[in-house]
Amino acid sequence: MIPTILADDEILARQKLRHMLLEEKEIELVGESATTSETLGLVRREKPDLLFLDIRMHGKDAFDVVAELASDPYFPMPTIIFTTAHDSYALRAFEVHAADYLLKPFTSERLNIAIQRANLQIQSRQTHQPPLMAHANNNPYANRIVFKSRGRILFLPVSSIRWIGAEENYVRICTEGESYLLREPIGRLEEKLDPQLFLRVHRSSIVNLQFVKEVRTENTGESVVILLNGQKLSMSRSYKSRINEWLTHS
Amino acid sequence: MHNSDQGGRVSTRPSFMNPAAFLGIGALLAAVFALQEWVEVRQMSHHIDFTLLVKAWGVQYLLWGLICWGLWRFFGEELQKVSLFWAIAAVFPISILLSVVEEMVWVLCFPNLPLWMPHMNYWSRLLFQLRAELADGLVIFWCAFFLFRGVGYYQRFREKEAAAARLEVQLAQARLHAMRTNLNPHFLFNTLNSISSLMRSDVTAADLMLEQFSSLLRICLERGETQLIPLRDEMEFNEMYMAMQDRRFGGRIRQEIRVQPELHDALVPAMILQPILENAYQHGLSYLSESGLLKIEASKENTCVRLEVLNSGVGLNPGHKNGNNHNLGLVNVKDRLRLHYGENQSFSIKEVGQAQVLVSITLPLQLCEDPAQLLAEYGA
Repeated sequence: MIPTILADDEILARQKLRHMLLEEKEIELVGESATTSETLGLVRREKPDLLFLDIRMHGKDAFDVVAELASDPYFPMPTIIFTTAHDSYALRAFEVHAADYLLKPFTSERLNIAIQRANLQIQSRQTHQPPLMAHANNNPYANRIVFKSRGRILFLPVSSIRWIGAEENYVRICTEGESYLLREPIGRLEEKLDPQLFLRVHRSSIVNLQFVKEVRTENTGESVVILLNGQKLSMSRSYKSRINEWLTHS
Repeated sequence: MHNSDQGGRVSTRPSFMNPAAFLGIGALLAAVFALQEWVEVRQMSHHIDFTLLVKAWGVQYLLWGLICWGLWRFFGEELQKVSLFWAIAAVFPISILLSVVEEMVWVLCFPNLPLWMPHMNYWSRLLFQLRAELADGLVIFWCAFFLFRGVGYYQRFREKEAAAARLEVQLAQARLHAMRTNLNPHFLFNTLNSISSLMRSDVTAADLMLEQFSSLLRICLERGETQLIPLRDEMEFNEMYMAMQDRRFGGRIRQEIRVQPELHDALVPAMILQPILENAYQHGLSYLSESGLLKIEASKENTCVRLEVLNSGVGLNPGHKNGNNHNLGLVNVKDRLRLHYGENQSFSIKEVGQAQVLVSITLPLQLCEDPAQLLAEYGA
């Protein structure tokens, strides 16, 4: 069970989230608060693993709550999921390592994804991390990407990316069921991705090696990468030795 | 100044009609006539003092320059408006009077002229001068008169043109504004009604639709009054709209979106495809009991962007076939295209294949200069 606190100054917003959380088996609601000072007191007393935090509440800004909690290095920082009607705080939320950013109104499906992500963060903190967000800086590669797509804010774990295709000044990031178009040169994205996990196989595509099934040469002589879901991506000759090397080692 | 521009109106007194211009033209004419007379006298083997000629002609035309400028400055508007009757009854006598006065002043200035004549008193000199110069004076006066009239016509023409251009821009903006605000409520309340209906039968579906609708609304509000947006944003909106419709059709409609990568940044009128998609669902896809197809395609054609929406269904109704299209949504699309691009665009709707309808739009290719950097950041 995950001890959880929810903080929102609107009674109906709390009511809705409370109802939705009843459906989530792992969640154990240990308290609710409506102002920033209430939230600080409650979190300090209950030491929850998870905090649902509205950004604009009576009193201070929600980020002040985070900063005050973080000012005590021995306090076990809860994993945070922001809930808000405003999309303009997404970058700040990302910077304080929030597990997710839910734009109101959200569905229980979306909430469930957020809780799963939070759960992963909680587990990784419990096993091998100091209480605070110290694990951020020793890895030069991105674990997550934040962006806005179809009116939502996404904190996308790079592990869920299957492949990435370049489209002129844009990249199309493909996950299991969705694809997102981002205005970003593919080269810049490549720099951010761990080469142990992602491989540029073509001028215009990068694959997540976890999702590669095989590399094959077609009758036409063209090399292709075949993903686990059967999708084919064409491949440049120059990249072939690298992927073969990876395939033989794994 | 009473003739300053007011609220961007074109002045009836253009800046080129200033004292310096009047005196400058006077001086130029004086120089020409002085030179001409000097040459003439020389050809007849006489000798004449050139400075005297310059002085005489100079005073003559500078006087006329002053007179004309005074006329323009103090009576310009009256002269521009005067009727034929008053031109003959009043302006003509005035022209004679002014010519005489001008000669009187001139004769006063040069008591030694005319040359090579026995000494005359002032009045006989004036009479001599009037006989030679009165007609010239009248010609100068009436030239100035018609010039003033011409300037008046020119200025009024300019003003009308500017006013027409202003009006056209205002009209186009007002229409575009009205159309965008027309478009939204229709779509808005239909969606709210769908949600209201779903609430009674399927709370989860209502919840999802509400979330999708909020996302759409968020994007619309963010865009505000922006008329032209990158195709990428337009397509994102369409994807969201189609995802919302998809629920209602229980996934029976196969959706396909194909955009040529170099067109992601092409500018298109915001929400130009939404009425077309709505039309496709309402008048085509909703009649199908089994699977249907809705396809959007954006392709580059020379210097144009072609946007196509294809839907299966029941083909076109007879009204459409006759070209009598009374569908408000589609009429709006056409109007907006025309207001944005004039004749530089096209819109067509036709039946193709098996009861499929194809709507096709072309508009000039125009790339977004500074696409807003989307929120994207990397981290742990």
